[in-house]
Amino acid sequence: MHIPDGYLSPETYIPAYAISIPLFAYGLKKLKKTLNEETLPLLSGLTAFSFLIMMLNIPIPGGTSGHAIGTAVLSLIFNPWVAFISVSLVLLIQALLFGDGGITSWPINSIAMGFIASFIAYYSYKLLSKINKNLALFFAGWSSIVASSFFIAIVLGIQPYIAHDPSGKPLFFPFDLKITVPALVFSHMLYFGVAEGIFTVLVIKFLTKNKELLRLAQNET
Amino acid sequence: MKLKVFVIILVLFILLPLGIMTDYSAWGEWETEFFQKVLGFVPEGIKNAIHIEAPFPDYTLKGFNPIVSYYISGLIGVVLIFGFFYLLKLWISNER
Repeated sequence: MHIPDGYLSPETYIPAYAISIPLFAYGLKKLKKTLNEETLPLLSGLTAFSFLIMMLNIPIPGGTSGHAIGTAVLSLIFNPWVAFISVSLVLLIQALLFGDGGITSWPINSIAMGFIASFIAYYSYKLLSKINKNLALFFAGWSSIVASSFFIAIVLGIQPYIAHDPSGKPLFFPFDLKITVPALVFSHMLYFGVAEGIFTVLVIKFLTKNKELLRLAQNET
Repeated sequence: MKLKVFVIILVLFILLPLGIMTDYSAWGEWETEFFQKVLGFVPEGIKNAIHIEAPFPDYTLKGFNPIVSYYISGLIGVVLIFGFFYLLKLWISNER
């Protein structure tokens, strides 16, 4: 899901930078409020968790691979804004140091795996925790990565429509929505979403006691 | 909770080599040759993409075997993350 440089047209990444700058600014403000002596180890630790879990590539049938992202855990333990900033930091380190994901595409990747994933996780949990807490945790993880793959599929899939030469040859990402949506969204529904869901349940159950679990997703957004 | 998060990191860290067991690349994260093979051409924007010279491309370090490279890459990332939050915290406490 890490879009590399060269896949997105400037018509996509310039507005994405413009939209993400105020989001980063607001998120950073929220993060500064959350960060103190007490939360420092846990926040650093869970951000490291997100970084490491993205390194655990899972092969799937069809010859591709993918990974979980860890955003839902950060979002539920802290809050979605903090998760957004933390995961964006992970994506920036990956882009600059390891060539994993591009720098022009960084805002899109951050909006997908950071912003969208954290808010979907947060509200999924909020909605479903009244019914069953474990189910809610699993679904928060599952839905967060599926929503983020859907967003990436849309952004990639519109490239051939918005950027092509006069003969219709695509200038950037060449496959349209009919290909990107099934390829990305189905693989996340079937495999990586399940992995994300399981990791979310395991990590949060391991980290929190039942009483604390009741307070999840009640942090202010 | 603090101790437990370090347990999680440690377990994941030990398991890191599992992440390079597969040769399959992620969907939509292909080398340029892929487009040449599938489409018969490489789209202009992809051919002329901004190229950031990453010091450790694909989590590899020159001269190290893949597993050691992957461990070192993981360590570098984790250290940078802890460093970032530590510095941010220092900056906040100075502000207050």
